Amino acid sequence: MAQTPTTIVDELGIALANLADTATGAFTPTLRLGVTGLSRAGKTIFITALVHNLLTGGRMPGFAAMAEGRFIGARLAEYPDATVPRFAYEQHLQSLTAKSPVWPEGTRRISQLRIVLKYQSKHWYAGLRGPSTLNLDIVDYPGEWLLDLPLLGLSFAQWSAEALERARRPGSGKEATPFLDLLAAIDPLKDANDPDAERLATAFTDYLRRSREHGALSTLPPGRFLLPGDLEGSPALTFAPLPPPAQSARNASLYAMLEHRFEAYKAQVVRPFFRDHFARLDRQIVLVDTLRALNAGPAAVADLETALTSVIGCFRQGEANPLLRPFARRIDRILFAATKADHVHHSSHDRLEAILNRLVSNASKRARFAGTQTRSIALAGIRATHEGTISEAGQTLNTIIGTPLQGEALDGVTYDGKTEIALFPGDLPERPDSLFEDGNPVALNFLRFAPPQQLERNASGDVMLPHIRFDRAIDYLVGDWLA
Amino acid sequence: MKRPIARPTANANATGTDPALRTPRAFAPTAVELTDSDFDPAPDETLLAPPPRPMGWLGRLAWTSGGVLLSAALGLAADRLIRDLFAANPWLGWLGLGVLAGFLVAVLALAVREVFALRRLLVLDALRRDAALTTLDNDQQRGRHVVDKLVAIYGDRPDQARARQTVTDHLPHLFDGHEIIAMAERSLMAPLDARAKALTAASARRVALVTAVSPRALIDIAFVLYESVRLAGAIAALYGARPGLFGFWRLTGAVLTHLAVTGGLVLTDGLVEQLVGQGLAAKLSARLGEGVVNGLMTVRVGIAAMRVVRPLPFETQPQPVVRDFIPELTKLATDSAKTT
Repeated sequence: MAQTPTTIVDELGIALANLADTATGAFTPTLRLGVTGLSRAGKTIFITALVHNLLTGGRMPGFAAMAEGRFIGARLAEYPDATVPRFAYEQHLQSLTAKSPVWPEGTRRISQLRIVLKYQSKHWYAGLRGPSTLNLDIVDYPGEWLLDLPLLGLSFAQWSAEALERARRPGSGKEATPFLDLLAAIDPLKDANDPDAERLATAFTDYLRRSREHGALSTLPPGRFLLPGDLEGSPALTFAPLPPPAQSARNASLYAMLEHRFEAYKAQVVRPFFRDHFARLDRQIVLVDTLRALNAGPAAVADLETALTSVIGCFRQGEANPLLRPFARRIDRILFAATKADHVHHSSHDRLEAILNRLVSNASKRARFAGTQTRSIALAGIRATHEGTISEAGQTLNTIIGTPLQGEALDGVTYDGKTEIALFPGDLPERPDSLFEDGNPVALNFLRFAPPQQLERNASGDVMLPHIRFDRAIDYLVGDWLA
Repeated sequence: MKRPIARPTANANATGTDPALRTPRAFAPTAVELTDSDFDPAPDETLLAPPPRPMGWLGRLAWTSGGVLLSAALGLAADRLIRDLFAANPWLGWLGLGVLAGFLVAVLALAVREVFALRRLLVLDALRRDAALTTLDNDQQRGRHVVDKLVAIYGDRPDQARARQTVTDHLPHLFDGHEIIAMAERSLMAPLDARAKALTAASARRVALVTAVSPRALIDIAFVLYESVRLAGAIAALYGARPGLFGFWRLTGAVLTHLAVTGGLVLTDGLVEQLVGQGLAAKLSARLGEGVVNGLMTVRVGIAAMRVVRPLPFETQPQPVVRDFIPELTKLATDSAKTT
């Protein structure tokens, strides 16, 4: 039986918190923006670009409030939750604008940020009260942790069956063998002891880590095994999937112990994460790194689809009942975004969006059924390339020009991270379904590019981050709150 | 009481057991004669207006000969005049010749200017079509082309300098045609829209006032006509059309057509307000009520002119509607009612 992701106590807490928000938000409303994306999807870049563009009034012609001159300004504010670190916007910006710019490192812990937006509303009564303010709350977190959310609805037996089935698939044979061998040698019904549990957990973690490094597999919970944070070595992280026991397991058996630890992991690690950061969102942007999955092939694409569908299904979507709105907040708009759109030529953006639509079709159908608006877009929070054409053998190829990261390779050439090249990454398929099928004639290869080397500055000396359709994304996500 | 009876009907057997039932068969597609039916039915002949009758040879002869006669008469008259002047005094003759040359040059220049003005109107029309198309199919190239042309049209406007700069700054960073058009509309059109609305409101106010105080209906009509013509010309010049004489003729035609087509629409989008406004004003005074009605007429001319000459369709900016101008007119009416 599927379990609900939260307990009744959680629900009560969420409702009370919502009520408190409604009371304090009567004058300054708070918009919680859920930036969702698996690991390396570009969450940190998106948030950095968002903060920077809002703070400095960047180049955002598609953001209606700014284009109409109603947007007055923004500032960073203290986040109400004092126990969570602040999003290191300044550091990220510094690494992007340094003399030799690098992308910010992968996120390893959770962080939050509140931006206060000041704007003039378009409504007739706006003239009476002058400029309004809106708090925009954003959370950044390691994308691996997001994969844990579907666990909330699974029992230990269900999860074990799924995980073992995945480990025994022919594709993941090499990485999973040590773990499966160890598993075969251990009887789950014997007495519980910590060394066995630790050996199993280590082998399982190794398997997860290796399969992530080798392929672009994205559906490998539990996420904290890969990025444990300060929970490393704690019992809640020392478990592994076990095959179902032949007879009912005794309370003192290994099986019962691991099951207990799995439940503890859910209750004490995953559920608070969900309750504190995802249960009360108003808007959601789902960032998808389509290109990386395309590089890795059909299995990775199918994996990505499964992961996205199960993760997005955990969120509370739909239109809230107006009477219940003070207690229940729901996500009423979701934007699906294919990130790193600057890594393909703009003439391919349509196809990129088509592929994205195919990847999230199940998730977006479910969301729309619940009453949520969805839209999809190909965007780049920070544009690292520019475009040009090359004529070769009578054909005109649309290329992108940029500096590939050190170690990226194409056609036997490995780049040193300093040479600028013009790249034709291959045509994206016209039919998105073909990405799920084996034996594609064209091997796509999207190189990763270094951040832009030279950045323009605006009149007040602030760096302007170039972007692709980022302004439209912001307009869709927060625009109507600034109307 | 009768018993129930059943009898076979005459054609029951004929359809029930058809001896020539055909079995399914498959053919190669090349052997097939395609008989796809046309799903667009031919237009109903009775609904089409008969085509206008081309001018017959008699009419053409009449016009041609008349034209030849007229130009011959004009040429002859000019020739006679110059000869007479020379006969009177050679000095006077030379002067007359010079004046004639000046006249001809001026007429030629006017004609050239008219041609350019007409072309300007056509260019604006084409731009609007292109922009609408770009919004639909999202073509970046066409969007850039439209914006480049717009920037060129407004290139000599000092007050648009900043908007032009914004547009050229943003242009390289936009990839979607409709986004380009929206950006251009926000930056270039929005200030012009505001000024066109202000012009319209001012005209409507003048018309309402003059109607309220004028002693004769004829004066009202003349003033409404005068104001409408002036307003349409001012709005066209504002959006960069610069109509000349013939251009203005065209513009008037377009505005009138637009009014005829959308008159009903404009009515519906502001019907309630119009009725309310007029009712209120009419209660105060019959003359004031008429003034408001005439003012609304001018407002509609202004709106129609905006829609006809604006080089971009209304996408991000709200369409002007009669409702926007009602408060001003009724305020004027009630104010003047109080003072009288």
